[in-house]
Amino acid sequence: MSKETKNYVCPYCGESHDTQDGLKSHVFKSHKGRGLPTAEGRIKLMINKAEHSFLVEPSWTLYYLIHDILGLTGSKQFCDRGACSSCTMIVDGKPVLSCMMLAIECDGKTVETVEGIAADGHPLIEAYVNNHAMQCGYCTPGFVVASKALLDRNQDPTEEEIVEALAGNLCRCSTYPQHPIAVREAAEKMKAGGVK
Amino acid sequence: MSKNSEIQTEQMLEMFDNLKADKYPLKEYKYIGQKGPRRVDGLAKASGHADYTMDIQLPGMLHMRLLMSPYPNAKILKMDTSKAEKLPGVRYVLRYDDPEVQQGEIIGKTAGFFGLDRPLSDSAHMEGELVGAAVAAETESIAEEALSLIEIDWEERPFNLDPVAASDPAAPLSFPERYIDGNHWNRGAYDELTHGDIKKGFAEADKVVEFSFKRTANTWVGPERPCGVCKWNGDNVEIWLKHQRVHLPKSRISEWYGGIPMSKIEIHSLYQGASFGGWCQIDWNLGPLWCAGAVSKRVGRPVKYIFDRREDFFGGSMDEGTYFVKVGFKNDGTITAVDTTLYHVNAIWPVFSPALHIHDNTRVQHLHGHSKSVWVNKGHTVPTRCEMLPPVLTQTMIFDHVATELGMDPTVVALKNDGCMGHDMEWAREEKEKRGFPARDSLKECIEKGKAEFKWDESWHKPGARKLPNGRMHGVGFTWAHEWDDSSGGGEFAIRIERTDAAATLMAMGADQGVDAENTYCRIAADELGFLLKDVNYNPQVYRGFYRMTPDSSTNMSVNGWAVRHAARILKQKILESAASPSSPTQRGSFQPAFPNMQPEDLDIKDSLIFVKSDPSRQMSMADFVRLAGESGPFATDEFLGTRVGWSEPLFAVGYHIQYGAYNPVNPRPRFCRQAHFMEVEVDTETGEVIVTRVVNVNDVGKVINRMSCEGQQYGGSIMGVSRAKFEEVVHDPVTGVMLNGNLLDYKIATMKDLGPIGTILVETGMGYGPYGLIGIGEDIGTVVPGLLAPAVYNAIGVWIDEMPITPARVLKALGKI
Repeated sequence: MSKETKNYVCPYCGESHDTQDGLKSHVFKSHKGRGLPTAEGRIKLMINKAEHSFLVEPSWTLYYLIHDILGLTGSKQFCDRGACSSCTMIVDGKPVLSCMMLAIECDGKTVETVEGIAADGHPLIEAYVNNHAMQCGYCTPGFVVASKALLDRNQDPTEEEIVEALAGNLCRCSTYPQHPIAVREAAEKMKAGGVK
Repeated sequence: MSKNSEIQTEQMLEMFDNLKADKYPLKEYKYIGQKGPRRVDGLAKASGHADYTMDIQLPGMLHMRLLMSPYPNAKILKMDTSKAEKLPGVRYVLRYDDPEVQQGEIIGKTAGFFGLDRPLSDSAHMEGELVGAAVAAETESIAEEALSLIEIDWEERPFNLDPVAASDPAAPLSFPERYIDGNHWNRGAYDELTHGDIKKGFAEADKVVEFSFKRTANTWVGPERPCGVCKWNGDNVEIWLKHQRVHLPKSRISEWYGGIPMSKIEIHSLYQGASFGGWCQIDWNLGPLWCAGAVSKRVGRPVKYIFDRREDFFGGSMDEGTYFVKVGFKNDGTITAVDTTLYHVNAIWPVFSPALHIHDNTRVQHLHGHSKSVWVNKGHTVPTRCEMLPPVLTQTMIFDHVATELGMDPTVVALKNDGCMGHDMEWAREEKEKRGFPARDSLKECIEKGKAEFKWDESWHKPGARKLPNGRMHGVGFTWAHEWDDSSGGGEFAIRIERTDAAATLMAMGADQGVDAENTYCRIAADELGFLLKDVNYNPQVYRGFYRMTPDSSTNMSVNGWAVRHAARILKQKILESAASPSSPTQRGSFQPAFPNMQPEDLDIKDSLIFVKSDPSRQMSMADFVRLAGESGPFATDEFLGTRVGWSEPLFAVGYHIQYGAYNPVNPRPRFCRQAHFMEVEVDTETGEVIVTRVVNVNDVGKVINRMSCEGQQYGGSIMGVSRAKFEEVVHDPVTGVMLNGNLLDYKIATMKDLGPIGTILVETGMGYGPYGLIGIGEDIGTVVPGLLAPAVYNAIGVWIDEMPITPARVLKALGKI
């Protein structure tokens, strides 16, 4: 297709022009002084209480965006896809597998990662360290995030409720017995300290 | 060197390849053995700030993927990569016929039999083998797409999957390029073990039984998949690698690309998403690293590769195989003879006779065991938790079969036959005395403690005799083994006292596999130096000239533990000598010692304070002492001002330890520490479901250093063991040879809901050959517990299930219901 016959579309108002020069003069005349238009694929998210904006490709997962593009590497890929919960993030208050969610679906949503939970000084972090609720540590962030989501909705969970909430998180080192202990310890601390 | 320093060095050398008890333990322990929360890696891991090799991203980094063979036994006849090369985003396609690849550099000594000791082979001997081509592209998905555009003419060949069938001389060759005489590979001394005269032993028996069982393919499932990054900085190469013993690949890399001096290879060992042996026992994952390095050099950009989860499944645990056992015994439970043969799938490590454990920790005098390594067209099998998997599985099955044949309590049969290398416990008692160990009976202690915790006497019953109110059948199982300390190798540790704050920094590169070993070594150093634990730190990820053996908490703990202790003792002596010596000796003179008119032996260190033994009120903190020594050297300006600071030699020491390991046939070490494990199950005879309701682990670790780490290996090993015993099986299609379940949805591993409570008991008899009498624990439980499910299920239903894992289908089949 030659340059002359191209259809040049104004990103602000959608008006078509036959040439690039025509489009330029239209933009200069009609939209002078405005900021750059929002490109298709640009999303805004609140990540760990900070506003972010990204131009994302349709195939990107939330995991890829957070881990590879933003560089918050706490979330982990253990299984490949959808089986291990190591990449768990809290999206609009609910724990999700970030490897199974497209980034472009997250426009306008709030995302919490393990780094944000740690930055807030959540008692879970200390409880996990105290109780050796980790060995190699690769799956640990996924457990911490899933536990945080549980404590958000249930501040005084029983051992059975904790096991149920974390049953989808795989740990090959098999640290499982320590997690209910750590979560209970954090819950007690939150109760005692009035942490919400 | 002072006399005291000479003594420390002599003591270090004395304990090399030690055959005796620790003659010089500490009198007091402050941190060793205590249950403390401190994990040096804890905060980083819990907060998501711990970086692993898979997390590494470098500017301009390319992503590499390798071609997988779709056939289990095939050869590339022709390959066209032109379409792949033209795909936008592809930066390089490395082919098997590339001149540098054709030079055939060896990627690793344990790369295996399937031609995997060379990068990019033109022939494949299992479905999924990485062969033919490697593509480096801007993204992983572009590299994947490029692979799909490669056109190949394959020569498909017949294949084997079953080791017994593959042993038939008429079977097709699994690896015609290398093993043209058949599918066996005899590794020699390790494979076969004969002791006594089995004919005589069987003649002495009141009863002889024969049985066989099969362990199907299972694998390690390391959470972080095999991966690496290679970057050239001029003629220096920088590498990030997931590997539990990075010093081994570093040696290999030095032989690549025509040779690189070791000093020009910088290798990073970040946090490791656990290996359990696994890939790190095979150098196969170094093949992609070789390719990444070759391409990185050519394109001038860093190159990263990551195996996908399915590729990680092409390798398995070395208990896979078919076992044949003949055992003779007397009516009182005394075993008189054992003859056992294992058709072992693709074991590339020394296989070890399946009778090895029976030899090492019983008084059975007549035995023969033979492992026959058979090549089939599946992945390698390697130590996954430990190379002792076949011997301990064999021991469990032998002891529990004998007990059930006689209707005896298996704990009684165990005690009846406990011993060492064909000798009885009286011989063991004499050996303990000779070697300086206490006269304790480890198995008896372990069994007594375990039985009490488990309530064994109330729980054990005749097979198939107890139906529960919920309709399920109740069963219990017991097994035992020795704790092992077999590492062959050396460990090196250095410790340096930092300037300014006098923190002690441990130095030795290793892999943090998660067993909290770093904390363990800090505890040893703190107690030996007399430092507060907070003043001792260790980051194993940085290379500073020393390597330790990993993984830790296992048998390597004794080797590394000695090295840390030697370094700490030599360093402490240096500190005390320095404190009693003139400070800042230069040509301009020197200053008063920190402790004037004292000899080093008049001083000691406790809680990071140097003090005079006869008058502890005369003390100085290590930090103040080091400041006196100075951090800046004798600056002239200080002298002008009349405040010249002192200076002393760096406070630094290195210790190391070497041992041949307990398998040294010339001078073997009898094993005295034991472990005992108890399991309770419920079996639903309608559905075949097996529910493991509780487990009790008892481990005599000789001396506990890091209690929570030991307990972590107990419950962690138990859960992994139950997972292997109940669920884990890699399934291949018999028609195509293709793996069917290489993912974590179809290959199940245990979750939080799959095991009831686990009791963890640690016994400390001090009868290990490590420092303070310690012995490793990390490998043991995950290796022993998988075999325990079969006797527990037998006790429930009265039928042996001779194929593992024990799935509902196999239970129903054994019960004749399907």
